Amino acid sequence: MLAALFLALGASAYGAPRTSGLWWMPDVASKSGEQIDQLTYFIYYLTGGVFILTQVVYIYFLIRYRARRGVRATYLHGDNRLELVWTAIPTAIFIGLWGYSNHLWWDVIHTESPKDTMEIAVTAYQFGFSFQYPGATGKLGRSDVKLISADNLFGNDQTDLATKEDFQSGVLELAVDKPVRIRLNSRDVIHGFYIPEFRIYQDAVPGRTIDWVWFIPTKTGSYQLACSQLCGSGHYNMKAQIEVVSQAEFDKWYKEKVAAGSASSGNSPASK
Amino acid sequence: MAETFAHTVPVEAHAPHAHHPELSFFRKYIWSEDHKTIALQYLFTSLFFLLVGGLLAMGVRFQLAFPGAPVPLIGTLLPSWLVTSAGAFQPGGYNGLVTMHATVMVFLVIMPLLIGVFGNFLIPLKIGAPDMAFPFINALSYWLFLLSGIVLLSSFFVPAGFPASGWTSYAPLSSHAQYNGTQAGQSVWCVGLFINGLASIAGAANYITTIINMRAPGMKMFRLPLPVWALFITAILLLLAVPVLSAAAAMLFCDLNFGTSFFSASNYGQPLLWQHLFWFFGHPEVYIMILPAMGLVSEILAVNSRKPIFGYKAMVFAMVSIAVLGFIVWGHHMFVSGMNILLSATFSFSTMVIAVPSAIKTFNWMGTVWGGSIRYTTAMCFALAFVSMFVIGGLSGIFMAATPVDLFIHHTYFIVAHIHYVLFGGSLFGIFGAIYFWFPKMFGRMMNETWGKIHFALAFIFFNCTFFPMHNLGLNGMMRRIADPMLYDHLQSSQPINVFISVSAFALGLSTIPFLVNFFYSIFKGPKAPNNPWRSTTLEWTVPSPPGHGNFETIPTVYHGPYEYSVPGMEEDYLPQNQPAPETARVAAH
Repeated sequence: MLAALFLALGASAYGAPRTSGLWWMPDVASKSGEQIDQLTYFIYYLTGGVFILTQVVYIYFLIRYRARRGVRATYLHGDNRLELVWTAIPTAIFIGLWGYSNHLWWDVIHTESPKDTMEIAVTAYQFGFSFQYPGATGKLGRSDVKLISADNLFGNDQTDLATKEDFQSGVLELAVDKPVRIRLNSRDVIHGFYIPEFRIYQDAVPGRTIDWVWFIPTKTGSYQLACSQLCGSGHYNMKAQIEVVSQAEFDKWYKEKVAAGSASSGNSPASK
Repeated sequence: MAETFAHTVPVEAHAPHAHHPELSFFRKYIWSEDHKTIALQYLFTSLFFLLVGGLLAMGVRFQLAFPGAPVPLIGTLLPSWLVTSAGAFQPGGYNGLVTMHATVMVFLVIMPLLIGVFGNFLIPLKIGAPDMAFPFINALSYWLFLLSGIVLLSSFFVPAGFPASGWTSYAPLSSHAQYNGTQAGQSVWCVGLFINGLASIAGAANYITTIINMRAPGMKMFRLPLPVWALFITAILLLLAVPVLSAAAAMLFCDLNFGTSFFSASNYGQPLLWQHLFWFFGHPEVYIMILPAMGLVSEILAVNSRKPIFGYKAMVFAMVSIAVLGFIVWGHHMFVSGMNILLSATFSFSTMVIAVPSAIKTFNWMGTVWGGSIRYTTAMCFALAFVSMFVIGGLSGIFMAATPVDLFIHHTYFIVAHIHYVLFGGSLFGIFGAIYFWFPKMFGRMMNETWGKIHFALAFIFFNCTFFPMHNLGLNGMMRRIADPMLYDHLQSSQPINVFISVSAFALGLSTIPFLVNFFYSIFKGPKAPNNPWRSTTLEWTVPSPPGHGNFETIPTVYHGPYEYSVPGMEEDYLPQNQPAPETARVAAH
């Protein structure tokens, strides 16, 4: 019964549109997410197969070997060859799976992002997210976690000229197919940077900058960035809007922001 | 070597009960040093905490299904840190419910039920000892445990109420009052866990000493019943892991109250240090909560299949390797914590490897029922279900062990489903089975089998209805520990699943009623139990039900391994450990 349930839940919803895909993953919207989904499906079919196989055999045993009058149980303490078989096969499968999974981990996390990657600083705080974009120089200014405070959410180092060009945003605006690297900080406690459609999660840890998370959004649309690490009484509603738009729309938004940015952001030496 | 250790403690000091003077009421039922009474004290206390933890879970499920709705009946009676003036849960109060549900279930229910109850009751009886090595420390351990429970629950009454940073209490949320807003509750949590740790350490030292030194003549290590092996290994894990949690709790207490900065981001503190300390304890803890259940279930399966356990030594070695590997997998809780990403690859590898001994155990359980003559008692139903539920919990763990998939499902309901399949479908089903199985020995009466099976059927169905769909919520991207999923665009469509889960959870809660009624009714009115109602081979079934003070009239001698069922050439289909094999019996050398 469980076996049927396990299979039915997956099969019926696979590929279904989001509006009715109640039981399954939201459609993937990032490049690494597509690779991660392949691995998820691989493990899903592997474990689903193992589950069905073991349970069918198990239930067969439970029916076949129920107590019956006059039938005595087999007197058997075990079988070393069988032990060897069911030690060796799982070991091989698990190590193989580790190889596949670790290869992908390297691909997704360890690899250098492409040359045209845009770096965006993200600071999480109780209870929200803030974003800082590079200004006209195209490069984020230097920052230091030690400088992070309520007035300087990103720990901007004002001695770096590039910092002055940077601008801040309450929405995470992204261009489709354009690689993005996140410079992740937290002002107070540990928060989670979680975007289910991008298949990405990373904790933001106070006192350190995490800069190895990068991804390429592949579908335009609105998404939500959610905090998924318990962070206090406002945790349940800690989120931010993500807009993935075409390159042209992004450039337009970016230009407007750069123009207004250095004047309105709290980065100019005057406001310090 | 096993032979030389056995029986080195003089038994004259604990002569059989006939020689004991009548104990006063206080010494017999309150400050008792008899391991059987202590086991029952643990049993009643942790069943009470099971109700408390269950009610907290009902609160959690109510909020998730009907966010913002006033709590029926008791809503307006609850304190203001927990509910609004209209009687609906506050988000911060909800975090408190989640935190205390997990804390109560882990430290006051599963651990004491497995280790306090069955460790205490079974170890001396199964190894042929009159009592534990240190009866005084044993009694102390129970009273410390009770104190820790009272301290933890007292957080309900302190200003700002329950601690609210999760049972994992990640710093610096937990270590700074201005971040968590529950300084008193969080401090109480630290103190409660510290005391609870003392109880665990006292119990563990006692079990290890008893098993090494007080085995009856002939009870070699490889003749120990599997529950004793499991509890022995668990005690070693407790002794090595629990002090780390105690130290971490003490450090957290200092950070909270005395301005130290072990875990704060400034002043050279390190937030991730908490996670390393917590999970260095926390992962062995996962095995502390499942190994004893595995041992109990192994025995129930063998007895009710009328077969020797398949691969006895493989079962022992699998548990030993789980214990060893259990200390080098803690980092798989931290793949996305900001820890060095090279470490994640290493921890992913050790995690994949530790799945192997669990697989071996599963295959051996299947081997045990193969060719058996299976009696479907209530205990057996729970034990059989344990195996299937453990398989689901084990397989879902593989998703998280793969680091890239963990990027997606970490801290979602997928992990909530996983842990409940292991701890409820696994540990708690094992505990239910063990209670039905050893109840006759504990109380001298039988439980009602029909009501037992009704309990089993309801628990099995509603357990799966409650926890299986949580996998789907997790894949849907539902985060853990959020008080209101309706606030997120991507979760609104899955809200009907939340309602379904909550209704199932309420039914699961109600399914405990037949168990409790059966349990308490049978203590007083159940039919009298014979010495050996299940026709088992191990030593506890050779003495009266319930056994007298001192357990054995004379210390038994052990002649074979624990599971000699259906031996060819014998009229009976079981050969007790304390009876020499008849000439006709063809006992296998193994």
